[in-house]
Amino acid sequence: MFQSKAAPPAHENPPETLIVTVGNPNTGKTTLINALAGSDLKVGNWPGTTVDRLEARLHADGREVHLVDLPGTYSLSPSTPEEALTAQELLRSQPAAVVDVVDAGNLERNLHLTLELTELGLPLLVVLNLMDEAAGKGYRLDPERLAAALGVPVIPTSASRGEGVAELRAALFSASVPQPQVRYPGQLEEAARRLAALIDHPARRWLALALLAGEKPLLELPNEVLQAAAAERARLQEIGVDPYLEIENARYARAHELARQVIVGAEKRLTLTDRIDRWVLHPLLGGPIFLLGMLLAFRFTFLFSAPWVGFIGDLQGVLAGWVQALDLPPLLASFLADGLVGGVGTVLSFAPVLFTLYLALAFLETSGFLARAAFIADKMMLLAGLPGRAFIPLILGFGCNVPAIYSTRILNNPLDRLRVALAVPFMSCSARLTVFVLFSAVFFPAQASLVVFGLYLLGMVIGLLTAWLVGRAAGAGASSGLMELPPYRMPTFRVIFKQAWARTRSFLTGAGGFITLAVVFVWALLNLPPGTTMESSYYARAAGLLSPLFAPLGIADWRLLGALIPGFVAKEIVVGTLAVSYLGAAPTQAIGLVQGLEQLLSSLWAALLATLQALPAFFGLPQFSAAAAAPTALQSALQSALTPAAALAYMAYTLLYTPCAATVAAIRNEFGRRQAAIAVVYELIVAWLVAWGVFHLARLWLAG
Amino acid sequence: MDQGHRHKRKRQRRGLGGGGRRLSELPENQPAVIGLLAMRGPLRKRLLALGVRPGAVVRVVRRAPLGDPLEIAVGDTLIAIRHAEAAEVILKGRDGAAEEGDVSE
Repeated sequence: MFQSKAAPPAHENPPETLIVTVGNPNTGKTTLINALAGSDLKVGNWPGTTVDRLEARLHADGREVHLVDLPGTYSLSPSTPEEALTAQELLRSQPAAVVDVVDAGNLERNLHLTLELTELGLPLLVVLNLMDEAAGKGYRLDPERLAAALGVPVIPTSASRGEGVAELRAALFSASVPQPQVRYPGQLEEAARRLAALIDHPARRWLALALLAGEKPLLELPNEVLQAAAAERARLQEIGVDPYLEIENARYARAHELARQVIVGAEKRLTLTDRIDRWVLHPLLGGPIFLLGMLLAFRFTFLFSAPWVGFIGDLQGVLAGWVQALDLPPLLASFLADGLVGGVGTVLSFAPVLFTLYLALAFLETSGFLARAAFIADKMMLLAGLPGRAFIPLILGFGCNVPAIYSTRILNNPLDRLRVALAVPFMSCSARLTVFVLFSAVFFPAQASLVVFGLYLLGMVIGLLTAWLVGRAAGAGASSGLMELPPYRMPTFRVIFKQAWARTRSFLTGAGGFITLAVVFVWALLNLPPGTTMESSYYARAAGLLSPLFAPLGIADWRLLGALIPGFVAKEIVVGTLAVSYLGAAPTQAIGLVQGLEQLLSSLWAALLATLQALPAFFGLPQFSAAAAAPTALQSALQSALTPAAALAYMAYTLLYTPCAATVAAIRNEFGRRQAAIAVVYELIVAWLVAWGVFHLARLWLAG
Repeated sequence: MDQGHRHKRKRQRRGLGGGGRRLSELPENQPAVIGLLAMRGPLRKRLLALGVRPGAVVRVVRRAPLGDPLEIAVGDTLIAIRHAEAAEVILKGRDGAAEEGDVSE
């Protein structure tokens, strides 16, 4: 959309020098690059992935530098896709220099990665970042000693205060190839040398060691090298050497030695993180603080976006009104106003929610709170075999499934990501509430809250069950709960905003077309053949085709079945479509896309809290005043069309079948076509089966 | 089995038993030295990458409000690890808790 922005500046175009930054996660790398970059900072994705990519162009030493940030990693032997990306880029792109960003307050573990980097044969420069934090922890460091030992420049910085940034920029071109650092035990060292001699690549030593350790090669290597590696590895194992362990040990021993040289003074002090964690992870207060934090994130996401969603709705109305004023043939006017403007408007209405969600998530993640939330929620998620972080997408799903799907990015394991994405659509979003409110008010006026609460619970149970089953089917053991609890830090807001915008844009371009098409398709059903009334439209015919399928659920009326079709596009319009088909098309939409969204959210939040705390006393959900919005004529029409048991089945079906076209588009955008298709089919089957069960149980119950 | 577990714990607290203590059984704020990682595959790799390795000093900082997972400190790194995962981290065989002398670094 805004491609011109990405193009390099128009003036003179000297060859750019590629410099990459590498480091452990949580070393303040992002803040450092933001400080280095000045005005030209770009946030996007690594091609073909959902991994954030940060890059900048800057002048240094009279040259043009293209600075690319590689995803944070603990080691070059990858265990996540992000980490694999870092290792591959280092091996393939052959940058002019590698800037290794080291957390000065966590030297030993960070130097472990530094030592791997020294084996790549690339010019290296070490940044001792977070010097201020290290001082706060009680560490005094001597960067000169590290420079002397490694044979590369070492620049101390405190990026969040801008300290050392100018020095770093000036030193970018003084990076040098480091001296060998790690000497491995006899036999292993010899094997590594023999193998390295066969490899034609600057990183031959690192590659040789990785092969000996039994890692999958990240580069294509000649067969003879792989065979030689296998032979050397077998020989080592024969004499009782575990190459992987020996390599790790040797690197850690050296990292330990280096850290001891560089740290010239240490007096342990209580850090800010220790003090905050005392409350946030408190045995009794931890739970409530966690819930409060989730509440704030949720409210932030939805309350701050609501006015803008409303604005887009108004905009849509105005555009449609303009089209009507154009004096076009009725069918064309309807197509433009309801189909096209409606479709684009639906797409746009998700943008504010996604933007605020990404802001909230990025804040939680980079501040360190997300890891704590995951820590607290881990035990609950373990029941479904999921990591603690999975809690966040599932919670967000109660507001809107679309951002919830995108928030699965906070999970590290691709399988976990998919499992949660398949579970999210069963979380009852605020749009589905309109249907529940209407039907429960008509059929169960006395127990409306209980029915709605039960539906939320049902969705949650099915969702968690789904995640568990998919995990089982994929043969995955319980996911790992292992993660670093990083120190609390202030996020770099400029980067967070850019990131949120880049991700929102990727939704608009990646999912927008699909959603618009879906809206146009439903428009076509309702308005074709030309000059049709609702009873004779393709819509009514399609609904008629559905009726044998839904007879076992006690739902026969074509108007009820028909409403499920636009419900595939967006659940918000189910009630509106029902009103039109029962009462005639007075206003096209009896309940607007965003009407009373705030009201819905506050009652939704009450429902969410109730489910979270699972306090039986919390059943007192607010009485839904929205029910009054449904015309009484519609209520009585529904009453004669359904039995209470069938109404329950209808609600259960609405809860569980494909939430909306946007959610499908989101799954397709994040996981691929096939996964999206599987999700849709699975949801349709589950919805029918559960609704069938609900219908028959309810019939027994209500009869007895 | 639960019974056996408890017996073993008791024995260790008295300092009667030998090695094979698990990280999951380590009381809070009592430093100990890691003996070996009794697992294979990705978990072992990630533990090593985070600095959880044989010879390193480890301390249980706290347990989550629901009892699981544990927060442990290795060097300057704070790590969340599930009880079941910590049970496969075997501490160095020594009577009772690690001595203060082991911990100076």
